[in-house]
Amino acid sequence: MRMVILCLMMLTSYEVGAHEMTPTYPKLERSHVRGVYKSTLQIFNKRKDVEYYEIGVFDKKFKPIPFVTSYKVIHLKYLGHMTFDVYIREKDKRKAFYVCSRSKLRTESITKAAISSRICSKFK
Amino acid sequence: MFNKTLIIVIGLTISAFGQAETVPINGTVQSRCIISTDTVGVYGNPNSYTLTTTLSDGGVPAVTRFDVTLADAYYATITAPSEFSSSPSLPDVVTWTGDTEVQTVSNATTMGAYETNKIEYGMTDKYDLTATGSTWFKTSSLATMGGSKAYPGGSYTALVLAECIAQ
Repeated sequence: MRMVILCLMMLTSYEVGAHEMTPTYPKLERSHVRGVYKSTLQIFNKRKDVEYYEIGVFDKKFKPIPFVTSYKVIHLKYLGHMTFDVYIREKDKRKAFYVCSRSKLRTESITKAAISSRICSKFK
Repeated sequence: MFNKTLIIVIGLTISAFGQAETVPINGTVQSRCIISTDTVGVYGNPNSYTLTTTLSDGGVPAVTRFDVTLADAYYATITAPSEFSSSPSLPDVVTWTGDTEVQTVSNATTMGAYETNKIEYGMTDKYDLTATGSTWFKTSSLATMGGSKAYPGGSYTALVLAECIAQ
């Protein structure tokens, strides 16, 4: 019976939205600009209710670290993949601990408890 | 002699056109955490000053699923709402309570202790995802208007924050 319930939940879950970011442990490598390090990540949007994701770089205590990327808020359609680069100054390299993507939700006319998802990878 | 050469050239041309092309499908398998919104919560309104996700009051708790493909690599932190992200103008201060609990796990043997081992601070519950597989977390929320004043008519949205953080 438990297996049946679990299978049903897993089957129904294919319809739900998902947010995914890889790799888990990205590497910071020298970029083509002197004194700037770069890391490449991928994001996948399987949430129908989300079209925008905000990128952030943080230290160990989740305080923001300055960084550059093509867009801090990425427009990513449903089932869209995107590869993006994050650039960090050499002086911030040691402090940079996490790179995160967070879903941005639209205001809708329903009284609900919506889910905002955030995935954080850790720099190696 | 000329005919022989011509036949060879034509034969080679035909064989070149007849070659099958291969289209690669590339993929990489790597460790990851996937956050899925299994059920978006709904607030019920059992009386004029309460919004709640309790089923018996007409609400629906929010359910989030975490899929992890590498053991001991991620923490799941889930924070119940403590404010409305959108609402009409409110007449008083809202008191919030909320809680998260493990609803289901894909492997009870390796993930069975998630709920007992969780760390709670404020509205946030932190789980150490020590095994690979899927975990469903259920988050309930209760928002009570101060002074038993009525919620103004309109739509209300509050956010449950589900985070998957690499260890």
